[in-house]
Amino acid sequence: MPTVDIDPDELRELTGHEETSDDDLKADLFGLGLEFEGRTEDGEFELEFAPDRLDRLSVEGVARSMRYQYGDARGVHVPSPNSAEWTIEVDESVPDERPYVTGAVIRDVNLDEDALDSLIQLQEKLHATMGRKRAKGAIGIHDLTMLKGRSATDDGAPSIEYVGVDPDGDHFVPLDSDEEMTPAEVLENHQTGQTYADLVSGYDRYPAIYDDLGLFSFPPVINGRRTEVSTDSRDLFVEMTGTDQWTIDKMLNIVCYALSARGATIEDVTIEYQDHEIVRPDLSTKTKTVSHARIETILGIDLDPDEVLDLAERSGLEAEKTESEDGDLVYEVTIPPYRVDVLHPLDIIDDLGRAYGFNELEPTYPDVGTVGGRHERSRLERAVRTQLVGLGFEDLLNFHMINEAENYDRLDVAPGTDAYGAGEPVTIKEPYSEDYTMLRTWVMPSLMTVLERNTHRSYPQHLSEIGFRAALDDSENTGVGESRHVGAVLASHDAGYEDAKARLQALARNFDVDLETPPTDHPAFISGRTAAVVLDGEDVGVIGEVHPTVLIEYDLEVPVAAFEFDLAALQ
Amino acid sequence: MQLPAQQVAVLEAASADDATSVDALAAATDLPPETVTGAVFELEAEELVAVTERVDETVSLTDEGQEYVTDGLPEVRLYEAALEAGAGDEPVQMGRVIGASGLEGPQVDIALSNYARKGYGSIDSGEITADPDAEPDADAEANALAELADADDTPVEDADVDAETLEELERRGLLDRSESTVREVTLTDAAVTELMAGLETAETVGQVTPELLTSGEWEDVEFAEYNVEADAETVEGGKVHILRQMSERVKDVLVGMGFQEMDGPHADADFWINDCLFMPQDHPARTHWDRFALEQPSHIDELPEDLVERVERAHREGVGEDSEGYHSPWDEDFARALALRGHTTSLSTRYLSGTEIGEIEPPARFFSVEKAYRNDTLDATHLLEFYQIEGWVMAEDLSVRDLMGTFEEFYAQFGITDIQFKPHYNPYTEPSFELFGTHPTTGELIEIGNSGIFRQEMLEPLGVDCDVMAWGLALERLAMLTTGAEDIRDLHGTLADLEFLRNAEVTY
Repeated sequence: MPTVDIDPDELRELTGHEETSDDDLKADLFGLGLEFEGRTEDGEFELEFAPDRLDRLSVEGVARSMRYQYGDARGVHVPSPNSAEWTIEVDESVPDERPYVTGAVIRDVNLDEDALDSLIQLQEKLHATMGRKRAKGAIGIHDLTMLKGRSATDDGAPSIEYVGVDPDGDHFVPLDSDEEMTPAEVLENHQTGQTYADLVSGYDRYPAIYDDLGLFSFPPVINGRRTEVSTDSRDLFVEMTGTDQWTIDKMLNIVCYALSARGATIEDVTIEYQDHEIVRPDLSTKTKTVSHARIETILGIDLDPDEVLDLAERSGLEAEKTESEDGDLVYEVTIPPYRVDVLHPLDIIDDLGRAYGFNELEPTYPDVGTVGGRHERSRLERAVRTQLVGLGFEDLLNFHMINEAENYDRLDVAPGTDAYGAGEPVTIKEPYSEDYTMLRTWVMPSLMTVLERNTHRSYPQHLSEIGFRAALDDSENTGVGESRHVGAVLASHDAGYEDAKARLQALARNFDVDLETPPTDHPAFISGRTAAVVLDGEDVGVIGEVHPTVLIEYDLEVPVAAFEFDLAALQ
Repeated sequence: MQLPAQQVAVLEAASADDATSVDALAAATDLPPETVTGAVFELEAEELVAVTERVDETVSLTDEGQEYVTDGLPEVRLYEAALEAGAGDEPVQMGRVIGASGLEGPQVDIALSNYARKGYGSIDSGEITADPDAEPDADAEANALAELADADDTPVEDADVDAETLEELERRGLLDRSESTVREVTLTDAAVTELMAGLETAETVGQVTPELLTSGEWEDVEFAEYNVEADAETVEGGKVHILRQMSERVKDVLVGMGFQEMDGPHADADFWINDCLFMPQDHPARTHWDRFALEQPSHIDELPEDLVERVERAHREGVGEDSEGYHSPWDEDFARALALRGHTTSLSTRYLSGTEIGEIEPPARFFSVEKAYRNDTLDATHLLEFYQIEGWVMAEDLSVRDLMGTFEEFYAQFGITDIQFKPHYNPYTEPSFELFGTHPTTGELIEIGNSGIFRQEMLEPLGVDCDVMAWGLALERLAMLTTGAEDIRDLHGTLADLEFLRNAEVTY
């Protein structure tokens, strides 16, 4: 799970509770679902968070939640932005793949080292989560004093322009570099460019942002050096581009709330799309209707309406009692603009439960009667396993994933041939490890590998597995034929066909199926000592003495007799 | 008096005046020592002999000790090679001396670690010096080895070696000490009297035979006694795999709690694995790196059309009033892509949708203990394939208290008590809880599962209009908790060590 680093002293300062001990702080954080993982080199708390409350990705957001938790803050607070001076003009050349932009101007921010670090971390964490590694939303923060607005509008108000440029159509000096580069050169030669190249390399035109002096940002890849933010910056221009307006607007809200908590003033920005105009940040609140009865059902307790209102305020929400059309008690709940996780009234009930304290609830066993039972397949598997163990087999459990060499080559079988077990492979796309590239088509390879790994252990080694296997099968909806095979190997200095057959006969007898073993050929077995397993007239497997070439391949110095057949044949 | 033959033999070989050891009696009677011991105890019970015991400590050289008797101690060999190379006068490159000494492998380390300790010289920065005045001929350890070379089990008091040297040799693994109990036997007066009167030998037999039984002869014979305490030969019976045993136990518990078992495909469409769970398509867990997407085959043939439509709408718009859905792209082709299921919740979505066994009416409880696949780094606590315990309860009105009560009941069956519930976030449940429990032996607080009440956005498209609570847990984790196994790879997969499986304690 993701982590966020928080300076405990800053947190104390921002919550206004300088006296809180480290241990109390950790307990309070745990209460918010932020688990203490350890300390960073600089002594900051490393906190693990569940990726729902993205408004807590910075010390400012965590402090806000704690103030609600402590009861120092209640209800919904919305900053009031000053009216817009700046405009972002969206040109028609903007790439279709990344059409959306949003922004805000931040004034009089006091960026000391800590505040700047926190802002950078918030930016990174938002990129990693909501921004889907910048694909869905990317944040650019600029020193406003370094921007020279274009005066394209009639009233002479300053503007910047979001456009699409040819990959080699212009150049600028990116962050962490002294050289002028074109966007295409950034993707090729700049470290950050290489990291994010995949996001835009398929575009015909690359996203770019211009002021009167030229290109200063290449979203979602990198900003220009000219507008780099430092501890000397007082006024900031925050812009975000992305594939979804809602997502970048919410990311912007979270950043605005964090900076506002540090005393900065928010100023609106006008976004001029080709066909419409919007003003951002959108700090409007939402309301959702939550039914009192539903709250009581989910929490399993009776609540007084006033208690619900109180719980809502302590969660940073505001609730108002009202009546539904059916005359039921419901609440109109106001949700602050930095919340991105409230998709449904149920999410508000979760907030109320957290404020109440889930661990305060008394567990009860649900008074609901049902009849239990096992799946037929699982009962059959258990019954066969019991018989195999009674016959002296060590029951095994192996991985279902394997590679081609292990599944086919080492046993001398070729995929798609009619040898038992040699079905066409179900393969894994871009496999992570060359050991696991497909699902096994039979269990023999797994059993042979266990024999290979245990040559230093005492013999006889009688091993069996009732295991999952799969192969391509067009007749299935998924295209994958899945089933269980019963596989067994007998390895000892005098193991032979008869030993395997005796045990197979016992199984067949126990499950009341007719067993015939007509001679057959199979590349993994010795010719003349191999038979098909025919159960109730169906050819369902193979039995025989493993071929010496295969034994040598597995470094075995004892003979091995084996059988494998479809579990379903015993049904 | 009539006695079994071996007891008669022992009485005749023993003496009333001198104590005779069991070994001496065995030699005199030509019986195995354990038979003699058995007879002696019988006779002691009859008060015909008196038995005294003493403990003898003996020492003998290990194979390595014997080797040094022939080749010399490694440090002495190093010293001699060093002197030869001129290290008595000035430091010499160690590599050269080791080469000349003929020491190999672990012997080099042994020589180096004892060299300075015993004052043969010093080793510094890869150079070796030798003290020309050292006296390898007076090396107490070498002399002790020579002294003990020929005899096995020399009684400690007979060895001409001081205790300190013995201890040092033992520490170096050159010498074994063993203790043995020596029993000595003296005839009692009663025995002497009986012997004077004359003893008769009763017939004894080794094996009960069909002839003995049918002839009735068994009534007149004495059965030879066995050493019933001796270890017998090892038998390797078959055994159900320990993880399967655990899985059976979990299934038993759940069936007992009224749960029915589910079954379904391992390779499945992302639709069933993720989309039906209200997991947004751009969720990080749905990226290439976390899942095992299939190359061949790549897509499912058919999905229930109306269900796809409802699921897509839930993702885009949510369900019911005041619900907003995700601001994420949704593509049916993406939903049709096949992968190895990352959790067995795909079975739950299939069952809940009514496509597996028809519409399920509340109340109902379902479970599975089946494999899931996750692209993780293989280490002591993570596997690419693991068994997931999946369970859900469907009823008209369920609360988080019902959920808590169900889990407390389940985990109590495995000795895990004091369950704690940490509020958590899952895209498909709300409220959600991580479950923590106390380890039965270490007392540590450990994460044991993830749970919650399925979201409306998940249930409504599936056609479920009551509450469903669910939880998931890795079976391996439960097995590690209850068996104390520390490396998950011992439990599962082709790394399996047969010895581990053969010796593993049965769970029930």
